[in-house]
Amino acid sequence: MYRYDAIDKEILADRVAEFREQCQRRLAGELTEDQFKRLRLMNGLYLQLHAYMLRIAIPYGGLTSGQLRRLAHIARTYDRGYGHFTTRTNLQLHWIKLKDAPDILAELAEVGMHAIQTSGNDIRNITADPLAGINADEADDPRVWVEVLRQWSTFHPEFSFLPRKFKIAVTASPADRAATKIYDIGLRLHRNAAGELGFEMLVGGGLGRTPYLGPTIRQHLPVRHLLSYMQAILRVYNRHGRRDNIWKARIKVLVASLGAEAFAREVEAEWESTDKAAIDLPDTELARIRSAFIAPAFEKLPATSATFDAAKADPAFARFARHNVRPHKVPGYAIVDVSLKKPGETPGDCSSDQMDLIADVAERWSLDEIRVAYEQNLILPHVKLDDVPAVWKALDGAELATPNIGLVSDIIACPGLDYCSLANARAIPIAQAIATRFADPVLAEKVGKLDIKISGCINACGHHHVGAIGILGVDKKGEEFYQVSLGGSGEADASLGQILGPALPAGKVAEAVDQLVDVYLRERQDGERFLDTFRRTGMTPFKEAVYADAH
Amino acid sequence: MKALTGSRLADGEAVFLSDGGWVDRFARAQLFADDDAALAAEAHAKTQITVVVDPYLIDVIEVEGGWAPLSYRERVRAMGPTNKLDHGKQAEGGEEFEVLSHAHGAARSKGRVELIKRK
Repeated sequence: MYRYDAIDKEILADRVAEFREQCQRRLAGELTEDQFKRLRLMNGLYLQLHAYMLRIAIPYGGLTSGQLRRLAHIARTYDRGYGHFTTRTNLQLHWIKLKDAPDILAELAEVGMHAIQTSGNDIRNITADPLAGINADEADDPRVWVEVLRQWSTFHPEFSFLPRKFKIAVTASPADRAATKIYDIGLRLHRNAAGELGFEMLVGGGLGRTPYLGPTIRQHLPVRHLLSYMQAILRVYNRHGRRDNIWKARIKVLVASLGAEAFAREVEAEWESTDKAAIDLPDTELARIRSAFIAPAFEKLPATSATFDAAKADPAFARFARHNVRPHKVPGYAIVDVSLKKPGETPGDCSSDQMDLIADVAERWSLDEIRVAYEQNLILPHVKLDDVPAVWKALDGAELATPNIGLVSDIIACPGLDYCSLANARAIPIAQAIATRFADPVLAEKVGKLDIKISGCINACGHHHVGAIGILGVDKKGEEFYQVSLGGSGEADASLGQILGPALPAGKVAEAVDQLVDVYLRERQDGERFLDTFRRTGMTPFKEAVYADAH
Repeated sequence: MKALTGSRLADGEAVFLSDGGWVDRFARAQLFADDDAALAAEAHAKTQITVVVDPYLIDVIEVEGGWAPLSYRERVRAMGPTNKLDHGKQAEGGEEFEVLSHAHGAARSKGRVELIKRK
């Protein structure tokens, strides 16, 4: 993990002092809300339905135990003793007081954290494959490049007032665990036929009111030119992006209106006129950043563990091992998924006590590291196979071992109308109702992989467009209704969902999911996921099941 | 009937105008039958920049046992999040929350519409 140096620390200290003064001026009435709003948003502080909300950045989803303990402490001291992990791998605190915000930022700065780039029309906190550095199929460690981009983009004067917010995700694996096709820029690191490392550049993906999967504008950009090429893309966007219309201001609309090829030509022309040597990162700087991500000191271990295998005699552990334990690239180690999706609980919520426990587990058994996945779960990246049973026991004692990663009850849901000022409808209670129906782990396992994603409004923070079952809360004649779509995916086989039919009232949604699952179980052929069956059969059988009463 | 609401500057708490002061309970909110008086109160509230943020009028309807905001969003603000009943104003319990929780019918909130306009 990158550790903040003296320069980083000085920048953060200055920033905290500056915001402390701005808060004092606002409380004294020297700044109006209109003047102050953009300043607080630059520090991740939103005003929501019940209180201020602080969105804390977790670059590439990486945390140390010390950082997670600090988040637990902040949530306990200044909030209600819990936090909410988001689909952008940030942590949101929903009950913050304005007067406390500078103290919180000071506490974050002490552990190399902040809330910069979590709001505003700038380059937002950048996400990466949560299995970076630990999966066997990646071309390089994507975190190196996210850190390069983070340092380049933070407070970049030219890109701090873009037409609209700008989100970047980076993966280095063919299995896209960073949802790169739905980002303003998705970067896919790979090696070409000559073995050279480069980026496939996807530009103009995004969800929201007009969803697009990002087209590739360059198949292979040599990694040394990343910054100059990024600058060219952002300059074209800054020049042509629609500042006159908020609904058309994202880069996806520009790319779609010009066409990907014409947009690519604009970028290439801009790039050709760029003094690349002045912009691209010197090798020495890259080496400095790369040195922060060298692999930890793994032990030489046998590839299998008798302790791990013996523990599978317990069916509960065996189920956990099937769904929450993944292979690590180093023999004898495993990747353990911590589920924040206990049926009936709020997806992505984690109490301070749970955070402390996860931090303790990570310190003892996972080389002091925790990752945040955009699916709103946590990951212990480096657990010895021998230690997995002990980790499971510790997690289980804190209700963090639900064996449901990727299953029907592992639902993504935004905070929705229970907290968010922009929401049209609630998302959390819908997720709770569905997850409760599939709380039986035997049933959930029988259903298999099924991504349900719920958003409380068209802004799509809950990624509903790319859910195998997507659910969007809408305001229909003043009532909460839910539009269901099927067939979406945010992974390597990315696709946008198709609308099932007329929106459903809140009380009908969980029942409809039941009906959709029944159709899948009836229709599925060997090895098919829900998504595969839908893609084979099409919409008709699903639609007939849910709207049978209407006929 | 209307009530005037906003967020308290210091902590973001949803507050309601009550006879010249701001209270955090909808049950104590001043109700305006007269639109002109309501608009005048809103205009004055917009000058109270060290007290309240983004004040706006909400529609209020008579329900069994009392009054409630017409908009579902505003009822959530007046009570607290529905996923954590021990958080928000509702945590303290009481008859006024029974009244709000039994209210039904929903409408678009002016608060949300204005927020989007200002973005």
